[in-house]
Amino acid sequence: MTKKSKLISVLLSATMMSSFAIACSKQDAPAPSNSGSSSPQSGATATTYPIKTDKTLTYWGELPGNLTGVKSSHQDTPFFQEWQKKTGVPIKFTSAPTNQAKEALNVMLASGDLPDMIEFDFLNGFPGGPEKAIKDGYILKLNDVIDKYAPNLKKYLKEHPEVDKMVKTDNGSYYAFPFIRGDADLMVYQGPIVRKDWLDELGLPVPQTVDDWTAMLKAFKEKKGAAAAFSVNSKPRVFNDFDNGAFSGAFGVTRKFYQENGQIKFGPAEKGYKDFLALFRSWYADGLLDKNIATIDTKAMDSTLATGATGATVGNAGGGIGRWQPLVQEKDPKAQLIAVPYPVLKKGDTPKFGQLDQPYSPGGMVAITAKSKNVELAARMLDYGYSEEGHMYFNFGTEGVSYKMENGYPKYTDLLMKNPDKLAPAQAMSLYVRANYNGPFVQDKRYIEQYLALPTQRDAIKIWQKTDMAKYQLPPITPTPEESSEYAKIMTDVNTLVDEMTLKIILGAEPLDSFDKYVEKMKSVKLDRAIEIQKAALDRYNKR
Amino acid sequence: MEATRAAASRQNTFAKRVVRDFLLNKYLYLMMVPVLAYYGIFHYTPMYGAIIAFKDYTPMKGITGSEWVGLEHFKAFMGSYYFWRILKNTVIISLYSLCFEFPMPIILALLINEVRHQLFKRAVQTITYMPYFVSLVVICGMIVDFTNSDGVINTLLTYFGYDGKSMLQKQELFRSIYIISEIWQKIGWESIIYIAALMGIDQEQFEAARIDGASRWKQMIHITLPGILPTITILFILRMGNMLNVGFEKIILLYNPAIYDTADVISSFVYRKGLLELSWSYSSAVGIFNSIVNLCLLISANYISRKVNENSLW
Repeated sequence: MTKKSKLISVLLSATMMSSFAIACSKQDAPAPSNSGSSSPQSGATATTYPIKTDKTLTYWGELPGNLTGVKSSHQDTPFFQEWQKKTGVPIKFTSAPTNQAKEALNVMLASGDLPDMIEFDFLNGFPGGPEKAIKDGYILKLNDVIDKYAPNLKKYLKEHPEVDKMVKTDNGSYYAFPFIRGDADLMVYQGPIVRKDWLDELGLPVPQTVDDWTAMLKAFKEKKGAAAAFSVNSKPRVFNDFDNGAFSGAFGVTRKFYQENGQIKFGPAEKGYKDFLALFRSWYADGLLDKNIATIDTKAMDSTLATGATGATVGNAGGGIGRWQPLVQEKDPKAQLIAVPYPVLKKGDTPKFGQLDQPYSPGGMVAITAKSKNVELAARMLDYGYSEEGHMYFNFGTEGVSYKMENGYPKYTDLLMKNPDKLAPAQAMSLYVRANYNGPFVQDKRYIEQYLALPTQRDAIKIWQKTDMAKYQLPPITPTPEESSEYAKIMTDVNTLVDEMTLKIILGAEPLDSFDKYVEKMKSVKLDRAIEIQKAALDRYNKR
Repeated sequence: MEATRAAASRQNTFAKRVVRDFLLNKYLYLMMVPVLAYYGIFHYTPMYGAIIAFKDYTPMKGITGSEWVGLEHFKAFMGSYYFWRILKNTVIISLYSLCFEFPMPIILALLINEVRHQLFKRAVQTITYMPYFVSLVVICGMIVDFTNSDGVINTLLTYFGYDGKSMLQKQELFRSIYIISEIWQKIGWESIIYIAALMGIDQEQFEAARIDGASRWKQMIHITLPGILPTITILFILRMGNMLNVGFEKIILLYNPAIYDTADVISSFVYRKGLLELSWSYSSAVGIFNSIVNLCLLISANYISRKVNENSLW
């Protein structure tokens, strides 16, 4: 038995190490009140930056995805270097591998060796949710900390009670320094995209109904020779960007939970989802859907679009249209990608669902760990992002380097928009600001006005905004720790079933009628209980 | 009196002998220390951590501080909706690799052994063991590309009337893809040990057989094969001990929900369930389950082998 399963041995050895670490750290009782560098009296007063300190804080987080291949560590990135100078706090960063933050977090937590700050989506990414993270002793409940050391964030939350309601749990615990979208225009960024030049050439209207779509894809295939008329990214989940109801919305469901008439519903267990599957099944059978649909990743997606094999997809305005437009143009100078509305069944209807973020956007939030000995310093340093100066820094960077003030309007310089090293704006931007990603700050509308450089991108936001999503969307609700472990267990099984069913039925491996069998199976792994938990959490949210 | 003195002197000599032996071979004993330390630190000490399988473990409370929950995690795993499917898949993939992958290196070694042309022999060996050194991630990337609807394999097969759909979306093909790629990757590397065993066979036996008029085929059946049989048996028994350890990396890199039916195995399920849900206890419960089944298989394989052909690990 020399060769144990790698996974298990990693887990076990991590476990061992953690137990030692805990044994060693038991003596020093965590006392947040007497930590930090400045005296307690200065509590509620604003911090003056840069802070004078001889301490170094530790920070764990994922490096912005746009920096993949550009920079390999936080420490090499100008934004993070300058952030330390501006706040006066030296930071030692540890970065999680891109797209594997969850696994990496798991290993780090198991090691018991926690940094002062963790940047992670504790609302949706952490199994059990924020209350459980606090209860298990990973992160700190921040209510006192924010009161005492984070006057800027406190002020913002006071002025925006609707955001304040979102960033805490039912018990009223604050758990992280949140990422907040400061304007409605920042909340919509995703939707269906098609090749406009093909539409024009074939004399087709902008597709609105599902039938328009079918006709359009047929034309793309037959007249434009598109091998995969419609294709979308399927990693990590199949139809990764369909969660918000792209296409299934036409049949009245999303792929997630949503509320309707005071009830909570789970899209894939509703009848509408069967109709959605039927549509995609027929598309696949007719060769309109990418044949490799189950294995398409972003790389494969880029290349099918660039070679003209695909003429329609679902993607983002920035990272989608913005990235693909130059790619398709390289092959065909006339090529143009435009956003089209979410499809509906009857012409003239408003789409029921579509992508819509809330002001409190998961991701980019930073929590302070429970064992940190530098709570005050960490809080003061994180509060910087919500100060006026920090707001400018996070959104626009350093004046003279990444932006210039023109008539009171912060304009990004060519270093970002037309990078001399041939970096795409999204990449160059990520070197100097965090506006096009996320982080502990309030995002500024003036960023998106410049980031979406193409008129088609700016139109996209307006086109995709026209949905009724706000009515049906669930707010950021938080199940209790007990509920949420149960919920997480149920949902792993349910989501496995949904992914399996979706692909098998669409690919024709199983008949359409097996949908009902799957719904039965979802019931047997206790979907109803999950809905119950969501409902209870929603009720508590509404009472906040 | 006489007897006790004799006993004392015997003890004396024994202790003396140990001390003398130790002093005489102190460097040899010293060389053993790293090995013992390795097993102690990395294989035996972590076993203590296995008790988290019986607890509701959270790192902040530590192993001793976490609550006992008894067999709850084992029950949860065995009562899980997917338990039978993943157990079945794990066993089937293991059996397939035992039947199809295990004999391949032996056949290759026998074939190489028959080749008299030295340069050709070396070339074959080098080429076959090359894939073993390519990173698994790269290998899987290649497999995905090759089996795509417009990949090399599909393009070739369309000439023979295949429908040209992505092969990794067909659940009936997954096991074949897995095993074939496994053979391709490991055949050369694993044949090395058999080739080494072949070198150890007494050449005089072949001469004697030739004089008696045995053909090359007969020589292989009656001398070469029995010659490497002990090696084969030992490797077979060892392999039985890894029966349920289907590598999760490769499965995870290759599978997708459309083929969970045939591709989802214990380790990939634990990855999805345990690692992404922070349920350390659950994962270790599955790990222990795995180890116990493997141990049983190992012991029974060893027992049967000892009865049947008197070759065994112990």
